[in-house]
Amino acid sequence: MKNIYKPVEALVEDIIIESPTIKTFVLKPKEDFSFKTGQFIELTLPGIGEAPFTPSSDPNIKERIEVTIMNAGRVTSLLHLLNKNTTVGIRGPYGKGYPIEKFAGKDILIVGGGVGLAPLRSLLLSLFANMDRYNKVVLRYGARTPNDIIYKPLIPQWAKIRNVDVVYTVDVGSLEWKGNVGLVTTILKDLPVDLTKAVAVVCGPPIMMKFVTLKLLDLGFAPADIYLSMEKNMSCGLGKCGHCRIGRYYACKDGPVFTYEQLKEIHDIWD
Amino acid sequence: MNEVYYIESGKLNDFFNQLKKSYQVFSPIVKEEGQQEAEYYWENLPAGSELIYNAYRTIQPLKSFFTQPYEEVAHYFTSKEIFQVKQQTIIFGVKSCDIAGHKVQDFVFLEGVDVDSLYRLRRENIIFISSDCTDFKKVCHCLAWDIMPYPTEGFDLNLSPLNEGYLVEVGSKRGNELIKAYEHYFTPAKETQIASRKIKRDNLVSRLKKHLLPQNLVSKDTVQGLVRQGYNLDTWKQFMLTCVECGGCNLICDTCHCFLLADKPNPGMQEPDKVENYQNKKVRVWDSCLYANYARVAGGANPLKTRAQRLRNRFMKKFDFFIDNLGMPACCGCGRCIEVCPGKIDIREVLKDLAKRLSVNSK
Repeated sequence: MKNIYKPVEALVEDIIIESPTIKTFVLKPKEDFSFKTGQFIELTLPGIGEAPFTPSSDPNIKERIEVTIMNAGRVTSLLHLLNKNTTVGIRGPYGKGYPIEKFAGKDILIVGGGVGLAPLRSLLLSLFANMDRYNKVVLRYGARTPNDIIYKPLIPQWAKIRNVDVVYTVDVGSLEWKGNVGLVTTILKDLPVDLTKAVAVVCGPPIMMKFVTLKLLDLGFAPADIYLSMEKNMSCGLGKCGHCRIGRYYACKDGPVFTYEQLKEIHDIWD
Repeated sequence: MNEVYYIESGKLNDFFNQLKKSYQVFSPIVKEEGQQEAEYYWENLPAGSELIYNAYRTIQPLKSFFTQPYEEVAHYFTSKEIFQVKQQTIIFGVKSCDIAGHKVQDFVFLEGVDVDSLYRLRRENIIFISSDCTDFKKVCHCLAWDIMPYPTEGFDLNLSPLNEGYLVEVGSKRGNELIKAYEHYFTPAKETQIASRKIKRDNLVSRLKKHLLPQNLVSKDTVQGLVRQGYNLDTWKQFMLTCVECGGCNLICDTCHCFLLADKPNPGMQEPDKVENYQNKKVRVWDSCLYANYARVAGGANPLKTRAQRLRNRFMKKFDFFIDNLGMPACCGCGRCIEVCPGKIDIREVLKDLAKRLSVNSK
């Protein structure tokens, strides 16, 4: 009999420091475990608790799952104290991921904020695996300071891929910083996308998602073409524990990726 | 129409005690104090006890037989399963409101993305012998949600008291098997007996209507519109003034299902690398959306920061979410939340206040 609350064992094979507050955990599950990009997992720290994370790795790689985690709360602060070769638990995957089959032939605008780039990395890697299917990938990323930029070695490599356009910015610069300074909305001008065949995918803190969504609507994106990753306290992952309700939906089973079309009538979605 | 049998009063008690030999049987006990309404509680009485007929619903919610306030739901990193088939359980005295509320629990735990196996095991293992209400509490308001004070579906057997005995309606295959196994207690019901059941039922319905009419309650047809249009009204703030955030309304509600999934603390926590010290157990704890941290996420953001937001959330879940997803409100009119609330927050009055403010605004 299947027990929906039972996690499987996964070994923490490696831990990569991405920024002063963000680490990537490389997990090797002891049983087969696969996910679709944008779906999330519940990661158990034994005896401590669980928290939901969307893997940041390529879903086509089955042996290992990478999860990029910011030190933000009770479980994540203890996860950040972990050493390599410890055992954690994983359940899932849960929810509906990014509908990349609908992105064929499109200009895909991807807007990330802070650690919100983590789920988007998984999406980017899925898209890069079949770039001939898509017209263009445009990445716009904003971090708080130069130190908070994650995947620093990877971003320049992504920018070199054909039909991939990358611009990033920081809210607050530093003496050494030569790049863009300003909120991520400031690099959403003159986007090299054709609005007649463009979709936008947004992931970041709620306040950033709110202003990016407003900007995109302003630019002429249709609500049905804006995909948002909603942050809620998903716990069971299956629409049973009740915590992640958004209007008539649960973020865990109906999301975590929603179109703005689905959410636009619902009160207080950015809170 | 379902098959209906008849059993004499004295034999019902024999039947009850015979069942106790093969099943775990819960039945109501009664507590009467002074001028207060009698209160019923479910208990597993010893053999030889007398079966008490509860005039209306018990204090405990029916859901407490299916999920518990705190229980282990998984042992992990082990092949050991915690599910065990226990002795079959029979519950006497389940009421129509309990059955209606239980549809919400079934929807949550048996349907959707995946089945909760522990819940299903209990569901398969528990037999309902429900019964008609013969009276009502002051807080009862099932009729407001079009729920009759007698069960019409969702039971295995249902008892209806007549003057000299009981009619027993068969509502399921399991109920039919029970009748067959103890057939010497039962005779087929006569038309006249079924007619007199109807008279008794109609009688109670008209008494209850008379009780509810002056209350001018909100109806099933209008409630979703009210909570939607009343989203920004002061009702939530006003009624929340007396809430002490005890969560009682949620915990005692037959439809409320929210829970926390947590890990049992490990004794070797100070040495997190010592896997051999781990217990590796998941526990499920009933949760309440009135609690301040109910919707809080890591980093501290909380979409239900204010008390008024949390009260409103309870109503949006009951009267908007469940009408959209299940086609019925998640309220069965049992009034348990009204009785339990130390702040005297009354679900009927909250809805009436929304209606009142909206009608004033539209004038």
